[in-house]
Amino acid sequence: MSAPSDAPPPAALPKNFLRPCLLLLLREQPAHGYDLLERLRHFGFGREDPGRLYRALRALEGEDLVHSAWEPSGSGPDRRTYTLTRPGMEALHAAALELRTTRGILDVFLSRFSEFVALEPQLEPAPEPS
Amino acid sequence: MDPQGMVMDELEVLRVRDEVLQAMYWMRSEGISERPTADELARFMAMNRSTVQPFLERFVADDLLETDGTSFTLSPKGLNDGKRTFADEMADLTKPTHGECDEDCWCHDSPEAAADCLHNKKHVSSV
Repeated sequence: MSAPSDAPPPAALPKNFLRPCLLLLLREQPAHGYDLLERLRHFGFGREDPGRLYRALRALEGEDLVHSAWEPSGSGPDRRTYTLTRPGMEALHAAALELRTTRGILDVFLSRFSEFVALEPQLEPAPEPS
Repeated sequence: MDPQGMVMDELEVLRVRDEVLQAMYWMRSEGISERPTADELARFMAMNRSTVQPFLERFVADDLLETDGTSFTLSPKGLNDGKRTFADEMADLTKPTHGECDEDCWCHDSPEAAADCLHNKKHVSSV
């Protein structure tokens, strides 16, 4: 039996949510894989499956939504740095529109559910590390 | 033939070799794992362990990987090949298309040259 935890329950993320999250993170700033893995936690993704991130980045690059290049590291091995392309920005915008539609549908669901049961207040998400 | 005496499809060996070396190079460069086990690699690449294991043994025999019997690490040759194939695979995507050529590209000479350039780029990208 697992120990009780104060952590919030795992989020039921929209299908393929990793993809727009990666595009958004790269819109904010170019990044390498480990950095993305860390920043994805704020969107509800764990760090236990870096292979999923690797495959997603490869797929995005294959679709020309993301570009990457090896960047020398002063203290360790070269790292692959990812940047958003112009088509990637357009895909991000399209994804944001879809998510806004999804949010509207979820709001309707939660509003109707709240007629029966009041949900506990939602925990504030952790702030981005500076 | 693999180390267990089974015949392996050499084209498949080449494909999986690039996949494994690139994945291991990326894992190493990101500090995720320098010595993954066969289970960790299989999960990372979304493959079955039973599928990937014979390939790992083959790549050890080919001096691309080194193993202590449990985990695998890139040999110096595997390191070079991993980095090179990773860059090669994405190179086509970073080549300029028509309209993004250098200023001295012949396609700027005339409308006909520009049309030829566009045709060639389409041809190259479809090969």
